[in-house]
This record gives sequence, C-alpha cells and structure tokens, in this order.
Amino acid sequence: MKKFAVRNIRLCTKDCLCLYVCPTGATDTENSIIDIDKCTGCGDCAAACPSGAISLVPYDYPPQQKKSERVCSAVMNLAKNKAAEERTAENIASETDDKNLARLMKAVARSSRLVSEDLLREGGYMLPQSSISQDLLASLLENPSAFIPAENARKILESIKCNDRVEKGGKFRCSVCFHEFELEDGDEHICPMCHSSKDKLERL
Amino acid sequence: MKYVCSVCGYVYDEEVEGVPFSELPDDWACPMCKAPKSLFFAEDSEKDDVKTEHIDVIDEDMTEIPPLVLSQIFSNLARGCEKQYKENESKLFTELSEYYRKASGNIENPSTTVIAEKLSEDLSSLYPTLRERSEMLKDRGALRVTVWGEKVTRMALSLVDRYEKEGSSFLDNTKIWVCSICGFIYIGDTPPAICPVCKVPDWKFECIEGGNV
Ligand code: SF4
Ligand code: SF4
Ligand SMILES: [Zn+2]
Ligand SMILES: [Zn+2]
Repeated sequence: MKKFAVRNIRLCTKDCLCLYVCPTGATDTENSIIDIDKCTGCGDCAAACPSGAISLVPYDYPPQQKKSERVCSAVMNLAKNKAAEERTAENIASETDDKNLARLMKAVARSSRLVSEDLLREGGYMLPQSSISQDLLASLLENPSAFIPAENARKILESIKCNDRVEKGGKFRCSVCFHEFELEDGDEHICPMCHSSKDKLERL
Repeated sequence: MKYVCSVCGYVYDEEVEGVPFSELPDDWACPMCKAPKSLFFAEDSEKDDVKTEHIDVIDEDMTEIPPLVLSQIFSNLARGCEKQYKENESKLFTELSEYYRKASGNIENPSTTVIAEKLSEDLSSLYPTLRERSEMLKDRGALRVTVWGEKVTRMALSLVDRYEKEGSSFLDNTKIWVCSICGFIYIGDTPPAICPVCKVPDWKFECIEGGNV
C-alpha cells in the first residue's frame, strides 16, 4: 500500500533525527509539514524519530469493518436521543441566568455530542470514504437550493472517493476462495462467496 | 464487603477503610472519578442489579435522519478528515455540521427534567439493546462504544439529578471538564491525570468556560 509520512507537530520535540535520515529532504521544510511531493514513503523518519511524532499514512484507506444493520439502527436510536439531550442542554444554557447551570448544561451538550460522534463511527460513519458516508453526501446534492449542503457535498465527493464499491464493473476472481463472479458499477467491492475485501480480488 | 464504582472500577473495601459503606456521608464521592455513592454496587451482587428494564426498541426508519444527528455525523467526519490530514475536506464537513446545527429546531420548554428522562432512557433501554446486538454479532467496536457511553451517561445523569435535588451551588468555585475523547464529565479544579473511562491523559480534557469560577 502506498504511503506518505506526516508529522504531529504537537509531539515533535525538534530533535531533528528525521532530517538526518530522510533521503529526499522531505522532512526539512519551513512550515514543519512534511513535503508529500518529495516523500517516497520509505518510513526511515518514523523509525528514527525519538518522539513517535511521525506516522505513515496510506494514500488509499482500506474499507471499514462491515457493520450490521441491527447495530446501525440501535446506534441511530441512541444518536437521536443524544441529539435531543444536546439541544435541550444548549437551550437551557443560553436561557438561564445561573452561571453554574449554564456551565453544567454546556458540559452535558458537549458530552452528548462527543458520545454521539463516537456512536456514529461505530454505526458506519467512521470514514468519509465509506459508501454510507458517500451516499449521505450524494443525497445532499438532490436539493441544490440549499446552497451550503449541495456545494460542500459536491466538493467533498470530488476529492474523496468511495473505497468499498467498484467504480467499473466486470469479472473478478477471489484469491481466497477462487470464486469467479461478476460485479456491476457501484456494487459492493467484496467476494460474494467468502466476503473477502477488495485487495483479495483480481479483475479478470 | 467491597463496593465497586460503576464508572471507573475503583474498589471501596470496608475492611481496609474501617468505615461501612452505608455510613459514608451522602455527599461522599468516588476518589478517582467523583461518581456519587449511588453509582457504586456491592461486589458480590450482580452488576446487572443496577436495574435495566429492557424493552426491545422498535427500529427506526434509517432514511429519516434529524438535522442535529446530521450535524453530529458531519462533525465526526470532519474529525475523521483531520486525522487523515485532509484539512480542506475537514473544513467543508465542519461547515456542513454547523449548517445542520443551525437548521435544527429548539426544544420547547427545555428543562433538566427532560434531559434526565432522555439519559435514563439511554441507560434503561437503548444501550442494553446495542449491547445485546454487539455481543450477539461479536462487534467489539460497538461493544466498546457501549461500555464507554454507559459510563459517561451514568455520570451525566448523576450530575443532572444532583442539580435537580440541590441546585447549582455544588459547582461554586470549581471547574467543569469534559474528556474530548469519550465525553466523560468531571468536576474539579484540575482534570484527572487520566480519564477514568477511556484512559487518555489529562491534556485531552476541555475546560467548560463561562460562569463564575
Ligand atoms: S525526528 Fe521526530 S522529534 Fe525530531 S524533528 Fe523529526 S519529527 Fe520532530
Ligand atoms: S518516509 Fe522516507 S522519504 Fe518520506 S519523509 Fe520519511 S524519510 Fe523522507
Ligand atoms: Zn469512580
Ligand atoms: Zn475519556
């Protein structure tokens, strides 16, 4: 899998070992951001960094673990309740004169949002690349009069591609179970027999 | 007898402490996470005795996502992009999140009682359903979010309950912190060294500003 290096500026202690080992000079930049045009993804900087400040991240993320509909719907029910908690707490915080209550309600609102975000990640919205996220964005395009949603969704869909569907259909063979099968444009990119993920499938 | 904190797992051992748990003052709280006495259970009792009346919830239509949940989905995806070092896309998702936050209607007569009811419903039926399904399907990620979420929700509910019983003076001259990873709420002058729920270090805690500290 093709990768490139990124530096967490918060963890970087400027020990400069990455400057010594990088064969392309990608780590030596005026703004501390590793130059991905120069980076070859060799990983030497990450291995040398004494502060664990460098990670290698893939250009293409693998599909998220498949989520069951039963889990997703239980997650959605909780998210709806958490949203009601968040909004109620926000409303109280903005109406009350009691400063302590306002802080407590802000904390409850923040907490409910964080819990809900975490829930939704487990309900399929982990990656912007997943088909569930992409379908949601695509549904925003249907209402072009609402400018921000349609415009932002269009821009995101342009730069982030779906990672769990086949763009172009065709014949495939699974290298795990040797099943041969056909997929159409936009089908889920897995083996229909053994559910192996797309990196196990070869196009015939 | 030993009593265990249902939020952080701290054990109160009557033998070591010399004071029976029942004789501790009502405002006694867990030394680790500040959970109130009511969130402790006796070690030999089954933890599930913290009664969960379990009604199987009717599954909702997945196509109807309320605006504020959309806002949460998008703020989460903004974080996801940030982690992938996709700053531009992160900004676009944040704008979407803010758009749906504003589009979401206000609650008529918002009250802490309404919040307490919702939090109680999470604990009595919604989390048990998610737990049951995660266990059945061996979805460890969903199980993790259940374990964390139940603890965070219990703590939030105990604070709202306390406010309803005695007003807000217990928050005089002290700060309120929220763990930016799991949402755990902590009352104190400084955040705990590690989050009692998700174990991240103290610098991951946000101080809730505003008010008379
Ligand atoms: S080696 Fe690590 S700590 Fe040192 S400058 Fe490079 S990234 Fe920063
Ligand atoms: S991965 Fe290799 S090429 Fe890229 S910045 Fe690190 S040392 Fe340089
Ligand atoms: Zn505790
Ligand atoms: Zn935490």
